[in-house]
Amino acid sequence: MYSYIIRRLAFGAVTVLGVSIVVFFVLRVLPGDPLVAIFGPEGFTKLTPEQRASYMSQLGLSDPLVVQYFRWIGDILSGSLGHSFFRSESVADMIARRGPLTAEIAALSVILSWVVGIPVAIISALRPNSFSDNLVRFVSILFLAIPGFWLAMLIVLALLFGFGYRAPLANVAFFTDPLANLQIVVGPALVLGLGQAAYIARMARSSLLEVVREDYVRTARAKGLNGRLVIALHALPNALLPVVTLSGILLGFVLAGSIPVERAFGTPGLGYAMYTAVSERDIFVMQNLVFLYSIVFVLLNILVDLTSAWLDPRIRYR
Amino acid sequence: MSVTQPDASLPVPRAVTARPTPWPLRTLRVLRTFARRSPMSAFWGVIAVSIVLMAIAAPVLTPYDPTRADFRSMTKAPSEKHWFGTDQIGRDTLSRVIYGSRASLTVAAGAVLLGTTLGAIWGLACGYFGGRFDIFSQRIIEFLQSFPDLILAMAIAMALGAGMGTVIVAIAVTRIPFGGRVIRAVVLSLKELSYVEAARGLGASHMRMMVRHILPQCVAPYLILATTHLGVAIIIEAALGFLGVGIPPPTPTWGNMLADSLNAGLVPPWWLVLFPGAAITLTVLAFNLLGDGIRDALDPRLRGAV
Repeated sequence: MYSYIIRRLAFGAVTVLGVSIVVFFVLRVLPGDPLVAIFGPEGFTKLTPEQRASYMSQLGLSDPLVVQYFRWIGDILSGSLGHSFFRSESVADMIARRGPLTAEIAALSVILSWVVGIPVAIISALRPNSFSDNLVRFVSILFLAIPGFWLAMLIVLALLFGFGYRAPLANVAFFTDPLANLQIVVGPALVLGLGQAAYIARMARSSLLEVVREDYVRTARAKGLNGRLVIALHALPNALLPVVTLSGILLGFVLAGSIPVERAFGTPGLGYAMYTAVSERDIFVMQNLVFLYSIVFVLLNILVDLTSAWLDPRIRYR
Repeated sequence: MSVTQPDASLPVPRAVTARPTPWPLRTLRVLRTFARRSPMSAFWGVIAVSIVLMAIAAPVLTPYDPTRADFRSMTKAPSEKHWFGTDQIGRDTLSRVIYGSRASLTVAAGAVLLGTTLGAIWGLACGYFGGRFDIFSQRIIEFLQSFPDLILAMAIAMALGAGMGTVIVAIAVTRIPFGGRVIRAVVLSLKELSYVEAARGLGASHMRMMVRHILPQCVAPYLILATTHLGVAIIIEAALGFLGVGIPPPTPTWGNMLADSLNAGLVPPWWLVLFPGAAITLTVLAFNLLGDGIRDALDPRLRGAV
């Protein structure tokens, strides 16, 4: 197991390095002048060449790309992550302030997706092709098609019209005011959780249906165990392995999905910060946040691999 | 002793004269079989086709010009004159939703054609040549896959600047790994088959081997992949539009319209939120279910792989 962990981590380190190069390439090397991004096409044409040059050197954008790349890596290693074009706050401070809220949303949404997805999958797999199975399948396909941010807007509207209620907009930590914090978090977690639950229910259903056909399940039935116990004790643990993998991967996509969803709810989390950075064309913030999100994504993938290796010893020897 | 001569009065066996069925008839037959085997997918296929037709015929179908402001009817709720209401500068929502399908479908089709095709060709080459080229390519694909697709698309769209072309490229890049992975796996298993070996034994060139012997077997997985990814591409396009890095206004797109509705005031009018989102959901649903049907018809083994 240890050699597997070390191998996986080494791979992860190489991937993170590659990711940093891709991020840098996309945001700095691709055509598209950062000054156009900051000032807009019209503002850009009004700048004199001298002004352009001075802005570029002020931002450190006129140095050779290799120098810029290593300066950025230095920023990351020193922990400050550079500054935004428009705000005095360093990116590291911003992440520290807004990150916990988004992490909370992500964690809640994963819990919710399991709480909703697994029972629904069991109901569906117990009687394949029954009415309830078909209903479950249709609803999960429907939720795959609904954009999360639209569902979020509908929920905000419904609460406003129905109850005249709007979630608080200011960021509150869970430990200072749990109630206010939960009001902010519940909406995005619900929307993102239901989106994941659809995938989880689909995967758990098909995996359950496969496991139920195995010999050992038949043996369990043959020795007279009641049907529910067979599912709960024998079939489910084995059927959940691919679901664990999927759930980890989905969590990464939830982080991305939280950007438009937080925008729709007006949640003051990291996703909203990413939206702000995009709409202000703030390349430095964007670069660091994209890098952060993809590191989290890579780490999640490693965690998923390790978890499934831990749950299923066969994987370690592949 | 006498050899039976063919009697002129007898009908000649059909196999000799039967001409190949003309292609429109063949297509019709294939469609009929598809509809019989899975009526649900056929139903959603019809809806998908109608949405495409609606996009093509948008100028004929729309009651108003989607970009013309009408200051006499601003932010009006749905009525007989404006079925889906109007937005804050009096543009007709129904017309905008219909025109929005053009942007969504063009971007989705363009991104999938570009990205999935590039990925498929890359995967074909990787699987066929193997070796160092394959190992190197797999690393690059892994780097591309270490980003959640929306984030990568956002970064690329932002770096390249707004426009339909950039949105297509941004989404296409996120589709490359999928095409690469799936087609590579297919090619790896094909390479071991004896007919491929036979062709190699006959001295076929690499190009001929890939195009004549391996490529035809990749068509089914490619088609399935492409239809399934259309839905994903539509959702990413809408999200990009919603976040303000999609196709810039005044071109109506479903994502833009939802973003606009948030700027309409403290409380967005419900009709500006409901209709564009419903259009996205319906379109994605139709393409996803059609994709599932095509997959089950062409190659059920790919269930879960694509």
